Amino acid sequence: MPDFAEPIARLIDQFKRLPGIGQKTAQRLAFHLLRAGPEEAIALADSIRDAKLKIRECSVCNNITDADPCLYCASATRNRTVICVVEEPHNIIAIERTRQYNGLYHVLGGALSPLEGVGPDQLKLRGLIERLKTGPVQEIIIATNPTAEGEATAVYVSKLIKPLGVRVTRIGVGIPVGSDLEYADEITMLKAMEGRRDL
Amino acid sequence: MRGSLRCDNYIHLRFAARVRWVLTVGAPTTSMPVRESEALILRSFPLGEADRLVSFLSRSEGRMRGVASGARRTKSRFGSTLEPFSYVRMWFYERQTRELVRINQCELIESFLEAQRDYAVSLAFALVSEVTEAVLGEHEVAEPNFRLLLVIARAIKAGAKLPLPLAYFAFWIVRLGGWMPALDRCSRCGADVHNARASMARSGLFCPNCTLPGQRTISQEALQLARRMASEKLERLMKANFATAAIDDVKDHMLNLVEQHIEKKLQTRKMTADEPGQLK
Ligand SMILES: [Zn+2]
Ligand SMILES: [Zn+2]
Repeated sequence: MPDFAEPIARLIDQFKRLPGIGQKTAQRLAFHLLRAGPEEAIALADSIRDAKLKIRECSVCNNITDADPCLYCASATRNRTVICVVEEPHNIIAIERTRQYNGLYHVLGGALSPLEGVGPDQLKLRGLIERLKTGPVQEIIIATNPTAEGEATAVYVSKLIKPLGVRVTRIGVGIPVGSDLEYADEITMLKAMEGRRDL
Repeated sequence: MRGSLRCDNYIHLRFAARVRWVLTVGAPTTSMPVRESEALILRSFPLGEADRLVSFLSRSEGRMRGVASGARRTKSRFGSTLEPFSYVRMWFYERQTRELVRINQCELIESFLEAQRDYAVSLAFALVSEVTEAVLGEHEVAEPNFRLLLVIARAIKAGAKLPLPLAYFAFWIVRLGGWMPALDRCSRCGADVHNARASMARSGLFCPNCTLPGQRTISQEALQLARRMASEKLERLMKANFATAAIDDVKDHMLNLVEQHIEKKLQTRKMTADEPGQLK
């Protein structure tokens, strides 16, 4: 590896710590910033600092936000009888992109993963139970990932919630749109058959 | 004219490349051919944008780790094959300069995904994964461990109560590791302990006369169960009626031996203990 001047080496090193960025990408990003005008680099530094200092967790749903409660929890037009439970804040973005869902959210902060030391106590479940006991919630949609961990979490959460008399649903799991049945493994196919609906 | 010349050159280059390729594949020191093996997935974590880092036990080559590119995308060709305990046929490349292999393709032979929807079961599987990762070195061929994992996973999938398969797993991990003390005599004085209260430590089993203060006793029933585990199939033991206390006693002593051997506490064991009601 060539020797870089210390400030560049430090910048490359910082980029490399980010997920999905290796030596080459880190170098490309660093040199891009060096070539760009000073405003661009300063703007980036400022936005990183702002994001870190101003963003916190919503005290209701644990989404990341600059205002507490977050824009979903504070909205007057969203349907307060439905809560969609997700693993991480960025999962909300994926659901919002559909423009079909108008309910609220609850972020668990992960999924049950014993090998990572994440058990029920590490998930943000207490707040969810509180919301069900005190609010007008009628349905919980569990939108954890369709992995072993996400499924175990979904089943755990539903066992916890059902005694409270709230309807619990799980997002459909199965064949991705645009793919071919021929390439689905038997578990994916089985899930798709289980999740079939009337036409 | 110029065109045909380029064309000739092209063919020539392709031919040369082909010869080089054949030579590379044929030469064992520099080749990186695709390998095929049955494998059990121990665990996987997200890596980079959309990849997965997968820890697995290959039937023929031992415990390994590899990268499955794009496995987290919705249209990933890996589907459900990389979930914990998936029993798969795997195609991968070993890369000489790196410790991670590149996972090319997986075909599902048997899935244990449905059973893991129960948190207690997923905890049990996590314990089996953690112990397997802790005791087996990478690239150490461990076919008996592979068969053991499959027996345990199938018993749990078939609905067995968790403590017995876990105790059987822990017993065999210790035995396959070569750290199992003799189960019929005192390791200090040689006295027969078939009918005596014994205690168990890493160095062996002790009769009442040789037991040191602080050593944990092991019940007679637990010792009997452990002796039977050495020679009987799990399937058959499940039909016998062992007391829960004896099963737990075997499991605890064996996991103690594992922890003493790896010189650290098992994280998932503590989590299992926190969910006592669910594991029965
Ligand atoms: Zn909120
Ligand atoms: Zn003795």
